Amino acid sequence: MRRVLLLAVLAAAVIASGCGGSGSSSSGGKVNIVLWHGYVDVEGKALAAAAKRFNAGHPKIHVTIQNYGNADYALQKVLTAIRGGSYPDIVYLYGSWAANMARTPKAVDVAPLIKSDPSINWNDFWPAERQAVTVGDKIVGVPALVDNLALVYNKKLFDQAGIPHPTADWTWDDLRAAAKKLTDPGAKQFGWAYVADGSEDTVWRFDALLWQAGGDILTPDGKHAAFNSEAGVKAATLLQQMATVDHSVYLDNGNGNYANLFNSGKIGMLFTGPWDLSSFPDVDYGIQILPGDVNHNTISGPDQWVMLDNGDDRRNAAWTFLKWFTSADEAMRWSIATGDLPIRASQTQTPDYPKYTAKYPGIDTFVQNEKNAVKARPVIPTYNEISQAMGQAIQAVLLGKAEPKAALDQAAQQVDQILAQGS
Amino acid sequence: MPLAAVMLLPLAWMLVTSIETLAESRHFPPTIVPSGIHWENYPNALDSAPFGRFFANSLVVTLASVAGNLVFCSLAGYAFARLRFFGRDVIFIVLLATLMVPFQVTMIPTFLIVQHLGLVNSLGALIAPNLVTPFGIFLLRQFFRTLPIDLEEAARIDGCSRLGVLFRVVLPLSMPALATLGIVTFLWTWNDFLWPLIAISSTDQSTVQLGLASFQGAHQTRWTLLMAGNVVALAPMLLVFVFAQRWFVQSIAATGVKG
Amino acid sequence: MTRRLLGSEHAAGWLFVLPAVVLIGVFGIIPIGWALLLSFQHNDLLTAPTWVGAANYRELVHDPVFRDSIRRTIIYTLLFVPISVGGALGVALLLYRPIRLSRFYRTAVFVPVATSTVATGIIFNWLLDPTYGIANFLLGKVGLGPYGFFQDPDQALYAIVAMTVWGWLGFDVIIYLAALQGIPQDLLEAAELDNAGRWGTFRHVILPLLSPATLFLIVWSTINALQVFDEIYVTTRGGPLHATTVLVYYLYNQAFELFHAGYAAAVAEVLFAITLVFSIAQLWIGNRRVHYTS
Repeated sequence: MRRVLLLAVLAAAVIASGCGGSGSSSSGGKVNIVLWHGYVDVEGKALAAAAKRFNAGHPKIHVTIQNYGNADYALQKVLTAIRGGSYPDIVYLYGSWAANMARTPKAVDVAPLIKSDPSINWNDFWPAERQAVTVGDKIVGVPALVDNLALVYNKKLFDQAGIPHPTADWTWDDLRAAAKKLTDPGAKQFGWAYVADGSEDTVWRFDALLWQAGGDILTPDGKHAAFNSEAGVKAATLLQQMATVDHSVYLDNGNGNYANLFNSGKIGMLFTGPWDLSSFPDVDYGIQILPGDVNHNTISGPDQWVMLDNGDDRRNAAWTFLKWFTSADEAMRWSIATGDLPIRASQTQTPDYPKYTAKYPGIDTFVQNEKNAVKARPVIPTYNEISQAMGQAIQAVLLGKAEPKAALDQAAQQVDQILAQGS
Repeated sequence: MPLAAVMLLPLAWMLVTSIETLAESRHFPPTIVPSGIHWENYPNALDSAPFGRFFANSLVVTLASVAGNLVFCSLAGYAFARLRFFGRDVIFIVLLATLMVPFQVTMIPTFLIVQHLGLVNSLGALIAPNLVTPFGIFLLRQFFRTLPIDLEEAARIDGCSRLGVLFRVVLPLSMPALATLGIVTFLWTWNDFLWPLIAISSTDQSTVQLGLASFQGAHQTRWTLLMAGNVVALAPMLLVFVFAQRWFVQSIAATGVKG
Repeated sequence: MTRRLLGSEHAAGWLFVLPAVVLIGVFGIIPIGWALLLSFQHNDLLTAPTWVGAANYRELVHDPVFRDSIRRTIIYTLLFVPISVGGALGVALLLYRPIRLSRFYRTAVFVPVATSTVATGIIFNWLLDPTYGIANFLLGKVGLGPYGFFQDPDQALYAIVAMTVWGWLGFDVIIYLAALQGIPQDLLEAAELDNAGRWGTFRHVILPLLSPATLFLIVWSTINALQVFDEIYVTTRGGPLHATTVLVYYLYNQAFELFHAGYAAAVAEVLFAITLVFSIAQLWIGNRRVHYTS
């Protein structure tokens, strides 16, 4: 009896929520759109300023920006909002969620918009960004942020140890040798740091090494794992040797201590991106492209603005805003204010570009390094599962609990299963 | 007691972090003795967002939840403790059972319900689900049952209604338990993060915890401001606790347990 | 006369619990029903769900990570509950005496409970860092360690036990303090006259009179321990190598990182069943052994 009553109320709630819907909000000709983001500090202010400028220059549209707290929680909040029927028009989401967001009918497919409106100059965006938002035939977002991994090192520690600074020709052997020399157990100093919590942070650094050795994550048809190839084992062995034999690697457990340690002069080298630079006020750091093997490939981790469908008017307004916000001039302004890398290749040609490289010493290396971001991680809904399998394997190797080949093979088996099942 | 030192370590660390410079906070191992006292972290933290509003909101929600719990849990707790009625034990288990499903699973349907009631993005969304908790009912039920029943029976014989017995006899004897419930409800509602995150999307209705979260960016955390904010957020709770101790200590001198 | 009393007692009982039942019914029971329905679907919360009957449950049976997470959750609970409740009893008895600075000590014990989980996580991450943390430093002085703590798959779960006991002890203490208020002075005096001694007084007077509070704390701590999540989220994130992947963490991962909300709901239902069994068992034993009125 109770069960029936329960189901009835439940059904009513579900139906009612469906009718909630998203109201159209054009009042007196003006279209109001909402943008959710997780920016704070300098970036938050820059975004607020940009919104203000846009509203002033576009009297028919009003964009309201709302901070959803921490980007880590964004997905939960967005999913709940979508289920509840009231969601924003634009939302900043991590690239790793793109493939899943593409599945909801509420996410706007930007591909037709690009086709009909070439003024967005789509191919001007870096290849890695475009890859990250392309899910099959759909394009599920507009690039918001691009970055890549490079080698950031402490010049003073290098000089103290008498090692020449890293060059663009550095190999894995150079990296290992330098890390060994820079490690001093007595002073609790490490040559290198690696995020070893088994999360995507662990995996994506490995991916760069894998690609440098000529390997791939999946086979070209996307049906099998390929990371347990010789190239993969070579990469994993490097990690194993450095961590368990040389003991030259500080294993960060995912809480970002490596940044503070580097800033305190306890770590010699990092594989990291431009977002970390402002955490190193006390270090005279140098930036170089990653040491390589067969090549010097790096990996890029783009995030995007995803558009959600609240009706034609609002969608068009949101598109207008994004076009404006990601235009070369506005994007350059953003980069200068925040230090974020230029999202368009053409930005390096704008007259303000030298201002940017002057303000952020060494940033040009990162920008040029974007050309080394040739390959991308698969943009498929099951990627997170694949990442977890790989992450566990790499973590096991780093902790000395498994051999590289065995760990990767086991992960590959799991991944094959995941791919076979679909989602 | 060294135990106290262990317990207070975090507070000490929070205080130290809140008065150091941002650069100093980016050290590991952490700076224990900062170079100077940078009180400006406090006004900086509080200015970065309308914290005055956040505090007011948090206060409203918390006080409403405390009041609701004290009233409704007393009623229900008393019924479960003293009254015999059809289905009593089953209902008790059912209410208790609602604590057994993790919030991560129930938060989405709860959001849908709140939306259906038209409460989304209002303080009502934060208050309504917290007006009564099985925790409070269970706590008071246990406590009420330890009271000597003769007083209540005497009152009944004197013609007092059951409600009257509750309010005039039982509750005055239950101050420690009520104080405990009040403190704990205050604590949980004040510190609640995940639910307000989902239910509230505009700054006007945000709570203190949501405000603090803004100090944690995607890639970086402004530790100094975050800790300053945390210290200020902690203060009301400690105040409430110290104030409520009055009801804890009333009998200590009286019973004078020796040893 | 008796019949009238009984009749009105039923009505009174229902009236008293009505507000609570309604509120908890709406905000507690309905969401749980929804979760139950969810467990019979393949649902990623983004697209239309599909009904799959008991498929999720069948998959759970064959899932080694799930089985291990049950084991870990129970180990955690069996450690956390006795240590925190027993420890709290000891501390409460100590704090109950009219010693100097008792008010200060009581507040000090409460501080960890009031501290946000984020701050607690940061502190313990630092304290237990294998290279730079104070814990290994101090242990090194007495010739022990160094230990991996959060980074060692064999130690991580125990480190979490330590961290959560630290964070929750104060809570149990204030419950016990409140309960200690209710002990009538004459009983204690009588025990003293009988030359019961401290241990005797404790065992035969205080402990039985505290049993309602003890039952409450055991049931409550168990329910909470089985759902531990926040502390793991801010430190080990279920690792290393799944060492701290407890049920709720596994559920969260499935729902919000892998988009398997239906599967996560099934995990939640199993957790619910386990918790229910524990609680009913404890309440049943409690009903027979707990001492209520004097």
